[in-house]
Amino acid sequence: MVEWLIALNHLTNKLFNEFSKAKGGDKIVDRTEDQLKFYSLKKGKEIMFAKNIWSKIFVHLFVVVLIAGFSSMANAATIKVGALNDMTGATSDVGKDYALGISDAIHYVNDNGGINGKEIKLYQFDYGYRIPEALTKYKLFKRLNCVAVLGWGTGDTEALSPTVTRDKMPYVSASYSAHLTDPKKTPYNLFAAVDYSTNARAAITAWFDKKWPKNKDYGKRKPRLVCSYMFASPYCSAPIKAIKDQAKLLGFEIGPDQSVSLFAIDTKSQILAMKEFKPDLVWHGNTVMSVAATLRDAYALGLGADHIVDNWGFDENLPKLAGKASEGVMGATVCAFFGENVPMMDKVVEYAKKYNPGVPLEERLNHTVQGWANVLALSEAMKRADKAGDLSGESILKNGFETMRNFDIGLGVPPLNYTSTDHRISGRVPIYEVKDGKFQVVEVVDLKGRWPEKWANEWLGW
Amino acid sequence: MSTTWLPCGVYHQDYKHDQGWWQTKFIKTKMILLFVVLFIVIPVFADSYSLSVCNQIGYTILGALGVQLLIGFCGQITLGHAAFLAVGAYTSTLLILDFPWPKFMMDFGIAYPISILIAAFAAGLWSVLFGLPCARVKGFYLILTTMAAQFITVDFLITGYVSQIGGRGQAFSLPPGTIKVGPWIIDSDIKVYFMMLVLVTGCVIMVANLIRSRIGRAWIAIRDNDISAEVMGINVIKYKFSAFFVAGFIGGIAGAFWISNLAAISPEHFPWFWSLWLVGVILIGGVGSIHGTIFGSIFMVVVMEVLQLTVMGFVDTSWGERLFTDFLFLKEAAFGLAICVFMIFEPKGLAYRWWQMKNYFNLWPFSY
Repeated sequence: MVEWLIALNHLTNKLFNEFSKAKGGDKIVDRTEDQLKFYSLKKGKEIMFAKNIWSKIFVHLFVVVLIAGFSSMANAATIKVGALNDMTGATSDVGKDYALGISDAIHYVNDNGGINGKEIKLYQFDYGYRIPEALTKYKLFKRLNCVAVLGWGTGDTEALSPTVTRDKMPYVSASYSAHLTDPKKTPYNLFAAVDYSTNARAAITAWFDKKWPKNKDYGKRKPRLVCSYMFASPYCSAPIKAIKDQAKLLGFEIGPDQSVSLFAIDTKSQILAMKEFKPDLVWHGNTVMSVAATLRDAYALGLGADHIVDNWGFDENLPKLAGKASEGVMGATVCAFFGENVPMMDKVVEYAKKYNPGVPLEERLNHTVQGWANVLALSEAMKRADKAGDLSGESILKNGFETMRNFDIGLGVPPLNYTSTDHRISGRVPIYEVKDGKFQVVEVVDLKGRWPEKWANEWLGW
Repeated sequence: MSTTWLPCGVYHQDYKHDQGWWQTKFIKTKMILLFVVLFIVIPVFADSYSLSVCNQIGYTILGALGVQLLIGFCGQITLGHAAFLAVGAYTSTLLILDFPWPKFMMDFGIAYPISILIAAFAAGLWSVLFGLPCARVKGFYLILTTMAAQFITVDFLITGYVSQIGGRGQAFSLPPGTIKVGPWIIDSDIKVYFMMLVLVTGCVIMVANLIRSRIGRAWIAIRDNDISAEVMGINVIKYKFSAFFVAGFIGGIAGAFWISNLAAISPEHFPWFWSLWLVGVILIGGVGSIHGTIFGSIFMVVVMEVLQLTVMGFVDTSWGERLFTDFLFLKEAAFGLAICVFMIFEPKGLAYRWWQMKNYFNLWPFSY
């Protein structure tokens, strides 16, 4: 080992001298042997010298890595796409799987010809759900010349919306907030999914159609609804206005909202508060860990209400985490569950096995499929823009996304439709129910067909 | 005595000289150079990403300065400072969006600067409200009362009520052109950067001057021993409240500045974690030092970015790609490790290291 270190020290000194010579500077005297002798003779050990060498190696290595880091930004032979994911923050319970789906799907696109022969280079960052960091990461994507960004949360996506509009940067997010669907306000925000508000409207409608008529009080009084979500989270609160509007439309009585943290493991006080109102239906807007905790407490305390859940709380982990409490729970999922029988699922499973063999298939979730959906939609838009001869952000929007009409990506997502006046992909939402730990379709609610006037003129953008 | 160099050793003969900022021509030149770098070199050469990192550093400095004042100079431990940032941000936002400003004030870009000032006063008074228990309790008990500030302000009042004003939903978005200072619409990183520089410079000068004044000496006396301070005739409660007010005031400025950087806010921007983070900033930078606040802010922001760029170095290798995608959380672990290593080997903070370096040169060649 010491011989290696000596050789390395010689080499670094020599390199320094060569560099110095070229610049006309002073030489340093190579005292490696002297140092070695000194320590060997005086101390009888090589430890001190080795320590010195190791610190030198570390510094050199760090510099090389940094240079490599910066130099990788200079490569312009590929199409660069940025991805902002939460793998360590408040929404990491669903964010990790989504991030894996993003990287798998990019591999798939590249293995199948990329963007008309050009490879996509993905820069995927974890921002830990810290909004200030999301800002700097977005600027880094710009420095890297990324043509589009695959974003994550509602808080940062809505916060970045004015900036991406100014920069004309297509921003395909995992936030499906309806606030991002009106091109007049947020033209560069897109996603390959039905928005939260439409999902929630559809889920309430499905419950009203299928479950309420079976209730013993049907026809005697109004059904009662309570919303349970983290008030401070823009993601959770994004569809609240729409939910209450739909509830009023269907004749519900609305109780006081209950604030449940995304980190909640005990929600008994909220359930007890709900019990005073005696709700027939509870809407859950948090991610799966928190929703499972709420369902368990509701079951244990005998709340006696039915439950509908937002898509980020309605995944394969819900029956595992909530057990019996999840039976009969309804929800909207924006795409097929992992392994479900849809045309592209064999590819999703194949790439999950190939590129992330460390994560067992039974632990993969529908969030993988959501990641795939956003990547496939973006890559299709980029292909169309590239064919039109312009791969700028504006072209990806105008010649790409906004030319899609009933475009099916084969992942159980309703066919994609984006127009220059409306970025909602569809008004048809399949609503599922948990039965014996499995997910089954209850009803496909066609909001656009049922309330065409409201769909066209009232519900856009909230 | 030389006006260019200080001779070896300390020769101050009066307090004025001892407390002087720029005691020699060398220090003056050094500071002028620093200003040239900050106001000319960085804006000319830095790209959007670098400016964004600088803006985040500035935001962290503004946030941590109040925490430093409370903990480092007055000895009042706080774990709820993000609440005062939130009060500043929401006050400024609501004033811009909903207050019926006369047209000329909007046209001449006076509304936003005035809203910053009002936001600072509002946050200062709000801070005093939650500082009231400091008249009775200290130490761990005070930590709990300041944490209450976070939960009552952000989680209850702002989330439940303030953010609902106007029925916009919780994310307030400021329309383009509404954030205007004089003739400049603050709509680019470079403009935000200059605004940040002015605010940070102003706040640093304000705090540095306060620390040198009677008020600052009273704060330091309270920090060192509040009973002794009281025996010396210092009105402990009055000065504790004043510390809370100034800390909240600067927090309000930080919050009001933040909206110019983003043009949007939601309660999610001010989590309790951010209060904890600001305490981490002053611990790493050095407690009881304005330099420490600045060094700590630079360290906490830049280390995260450097770690990110380090990982990016491996992206072109086949195994590096796995590192890049599968182990994104490695960066978080490395960050935690960096803090642990730092606290073990430099527990007095970066400011102490800076002080040692300066002393080495001041005392050279007799630095033994």
